[in-house]
Amino acid sequence: MADDSTDPGALDEGTENAALREAVAAEHAAVWGYGVVGAALDAGARGQATVSETAHRDVRDRIIELLDERSADPVAAEGAYALPFPVLSPTDGAALAVVLEDGVAAAWVRVLDQAVERTTRELAIGALTAAEVRAVGWRLAAGQSPATSAFPGLPKQ
Amino acid sequence: MSPPPPSGPPGFSRRTLLAASAAGLAFLATGCTSSSADEREKVTSQQADSLSAQIAVQATVVAAFAAAAAADPGLGAEVADLVAQAEEQLARLRAAAPGNSASASPAAGGAPPAPETRAWLSGQVAAASTSHATACLDQSGARAALLGSIAAGLAGQTVRLA
Repeated sequence: MADDSTDPGALDEGTENAALREAVAAEHAAVWGYGVVGAALDAGARGQATVSETAHRDVRDRIIELLDERSADPVAAEGAYALPFPVLSPTDGAALAVVLEDGVAAAWVRVLDQAVERTTRELAIGALTAAEVRAVGWRLAAGQSPATSAFPGLPKQ
Repeated sequence: MSPPPPSGPPGFSRRTLLAASAAGLAFLATGCTSSSADEREKVTSQQADSLSAQIAVQATVVAAFAAAAAADPGLGAEVADLVAQAEEQLARLRAAAPGNSASASPAAGGAPPAPETRAWLSGQVAAASTSHATACLDQSGARAALLGSIAAGLAGQTVRLA
């Protein structure tokens, strides 16, 4: 006999798509934010910001394509975003990059938590790992300690 | 860069990016063993076995740090914070494993003397990261999130060890 009841905590394509939409929003913000990061860095360090921005743009475009294939509307980018703190120096720029990568990591952990497709988890673990690797570099550049995180993307206990 | 207007557009730092943390990950912070999470995820025996195997992998990482510190005390002092994180990861994995059964003996092997110790340790950490990431693909829910997060954290450690 069919069970028409819906488990509000069950994982399905809807939960996965919702998490992917959150990831798109985080990636949009990262793409925008790296423009600010790059402007704050010394010329010699701007290349890393460009590489990071490109990586986020690529991942964002992959998710948008995936959501389009599922006829699930991706989240549109905002015209601009408020900064969490004034970005007036290279150290500020690196600290902003940390915020961006940490935010993206949280979104991808959320995808891992909500996904039902193995391929989606594969996409998520790749994006999460890349975000944390970049974040370590930015934490070092910002003089933050510790530079590593035991549980990137997970809320602190 | 001019500061944002007080009533400006949505901010990514507090709203967009951190929204995911606030939305539904709170239960993850408590360990992945809550009854609600278990009921939701219905862990298969294969998933449980896989998670137990990852406890052994993580124990090997902790043992590798100890072996590296014995071979190169200077390196051991330098990476004390990484050791603490690896131990924290191991504790969280044990808490998340159904039945909390796995307590496999770590088998990191002997670390080579300096200056090869660092590269050896980095290789051990990278291998564990890859192992956790691979295992994550066949998990679901909070356990996939935990394994994925630990895999990423270990990948970040290799940057420090480079």
